[in-house]
Amino acid sequence: MDLTPRQRDALVELLNIGFGRAGASLSQLTGHRVLLDVPEVSIHPIGDLRQVLNSVFTSDVASVHQIFAGPVAGDALLVLDHTAAGMLKQLLTDDPPLPLRIDASAREVLTEVGNILLNACLGTFGNLLDVQVSFSVPQLNLDTLHGVLETLMVHRESMRYAMLVHAGFRLRDAEVRGYLVIVLSVASLDRLIRSVEQWDRA
Amino acid sequence: MGPGLTVSKVRETAMLRWLDELSDAGIFTTDESLVIRSWNRWMEQHSGLPASAAIGRPLLEMYPDLVERGFDRYYTATLGGEVSVLSQSLHRFVIRLPGPMRNEPMPQSGRIAPLIDDGTVIGTITVIDDVSERVMSEREMRRQIVAAETARATAENALRLKDEFLANLSHEIRTPLNAVIGWTRILLGRPFDEATLARALAVIDRNAAAQAKLIEDMLDMARIVSGKLRLNMGPVDLTLVTRSAIDVILPAADAKGITVRARLGDAPYAITADADRVQQIAWNILSNAVKFTPSGGAIDVTISEAPDGVRLSVKDSGEGISQDFLPHVFERFRQANASVSRTEGGLGLGLALVQDLVHLHGGRIYVESAGRGSGSTFTVVFPAPAKDLTVTAQRATVDVSLLKDQHVLVVDDDADWRDLLSIALLHAGAKPIVARSCSEALDLLRSGPVPSVVVTDIAMPVENGYALLEKLRAMGGPMATIPVIAVTAYAGPGQEAKALSAGFHTFRAKPLPPEEALGVIVETLRHLSSTR
Repeated sequence: MDLTPRQRDALVELLNIGFGRAGASLSQLTGHRVLLDVPEVSIHPIGDLRQVLNSVFTSDVASVHQIFAGPVAGDALLVLDHTAAGMLKQLLTDDPPLPLRIDASAREVLTEVGNILLNACLGTFGNLLDVQVSFSVPQLNLDTLHGVLETLMVHRESMRYAMLVHAGFRLRDAEVRGYLVIVLSVASLDRLIRSVEQWDRA
Repeated sequence: MGPGLTVSKVRETAMLRWLDELSDAGIFTTDESLVIRSWNRWMEQHSGLPASAAIGRPLLEMYPDLVERGFDRYYTATLGGEVSVLSQSLHRFVIRLPGPMRNEPMPQSGRIAPLIDDGTVIGTITVIDDVSERVMSEREMRRQIVAAETARATAENALRLKDEFLANLSHEIRTPLNAVIGWTRILLGRPFDEATLARALAVIDRNAAAQAKLIEDMLDMARIVSGKLRLNMGPVDLTLVTRSAIDVILPAADAKGITVRARLGDAPYAITADADRVQQIAWNILSNAVKFTPSGGAIDVTISEAPDGVRLSVKDSGEGISQDFLPHVFERFRQANASVSRTEGGLGLGLALVQDLVHLHGGRIYVESAGRGSGSTFTVVFPAPAKDLTVTAQRATVDVSLLKDQHVLVVDDDADWRDLLSIALLHAGAKPIVARSCSEALDLLRSGPVPSVVVTDIAMPVENGYALLEKLRAMGGPMATIPVIAVTAYAGPGQEAKALSAGFHTFRAKPLPPEEALGVIVETLRHLSSTR
């Protein structure tokens, strides 16, 4: 599914509100100024996701996965490679790194960061659509990209789309890059795009 | 199963009871006004509040620090339908509860989620995990990593200092040797007048003494490091010892135009100590002061009572010590800056040795300096002595009358030493007999007069001092009991004990000034006459 340039701009603007909110929360939480780059958005059929992401992630990934339900339903993930995940943890907390880069503490912090970003973006969508979305507790997985994508495919027969959002965290003179993946049914995506268009016109 | 209840309702009740009574996580719920509605057994146990006391109270009033720490926004977000995950690293804890670590609440991670019924948020649920063990083990791991890192850095630094020390050492050993060799060649190579001779001897004497001191310091350090330094403790008058240390450094101070002011008091200050080592301590501190005080400066030496003993202070008007270097003053091989060490010489062993010696005496030493340019004050506090000790004069001049007409056999392959000692013995009225080797000594013993004392080197070609001692004892008769004194340049750690247990009467390290050698011989004779 292709977005018109206007739809894409509106979606980016909306996501930017969510990113701003997440950056503010992270700054407040860590005492360091955390900025999130202006998101870049593309939409792909879920079957193409592997091909798109394979070029980005060459090794195992850390992903924070949250399921949301309600009038708009789907899966939301923050995906980082292990190096980025370890770096993000270290930048956010002041603890010196342990030999195990993604230890229990790091997993917790990454889960919280993913939760903040996913809440901010999905919350913005929820406000826009004026619907109550309910969230599962986020889960952190350390797996191959293949493994992560498998969990998204299982038991889902219907045609689904993935919104791929490029997210760059900037803090303490460093940059950590990752991807936000929001998987929606055709109906949910349609509803979202239409609302975004209306919001853009308003 | 009661009437009117479905199976699923019963199962739900059972699950809730499990969460309430058996869960290893803290669980509490609130209504949409954040008033506590349930409080499980874990929360009761860890908060000390029974459910009856918690339920019905507003959460944010019961734990006002939740608002102070900004947790109210998580509850607000939760009432808006969001889930919040709270990591221990970023929040430390959710509810302030006592934990296993002193002065620190139990480390926790938590989740706050909305309770939703039919699309409407009707309350919140908070789940708390106790992560104390994980936090403690992570801290321990960090501590170990830091400790390993520190140990590695310390070891590397020690290695570097040792390298510098070795480089320094070769320089320090060569310098006095060059002066000695140079002047000796001059004297050997051409005719000289009285003035040149006096000057040459003064230079040779000074440099040889400097080198002997250097080697003494190193050996002392080796003994201390290996725990083999023994103190001959006895009553010592600190005033007297300090005065004689001042006498030693006075020429050097005069040469630099430094005034030495001593306020040592009239009365003797008695301490229990090893007189030689106290002299060494005082000498080292004083010569250090001379070394770092510029021309025209002053050194003040005072002795006074301290609450815990007797205090010796040496204050100089020198360049002082920077705050950075102060903690390292007493470390081995350390000198504040390489350029000063190069111009002033020295190995950086003196003060480390002083500190070790002071500690061996049960005393303490400290240094004060207001920084560069402000001079410094070294203070040693010796512990107070037992009251009834009487102080006797140290280092009495040698009474050589005992030596009169005594035969003393001197055995050494080093002709200079043989000559030196024989001349000193002759001057003292004794009758020296000299031998160049063990076999020559034995011949002389068989044919000549029986000496009162034998002074022998240990390391000699063919047969060493130990062999001489053994063969001499084997001769029987008076030879079985003649005291034999070992004087050797090979005075490494353990050598003295080895020599004494082999049957040597006394053991002394070379270089030994002739008057000290005479002193040792007199001591031995006195000991002999008192035991006969």
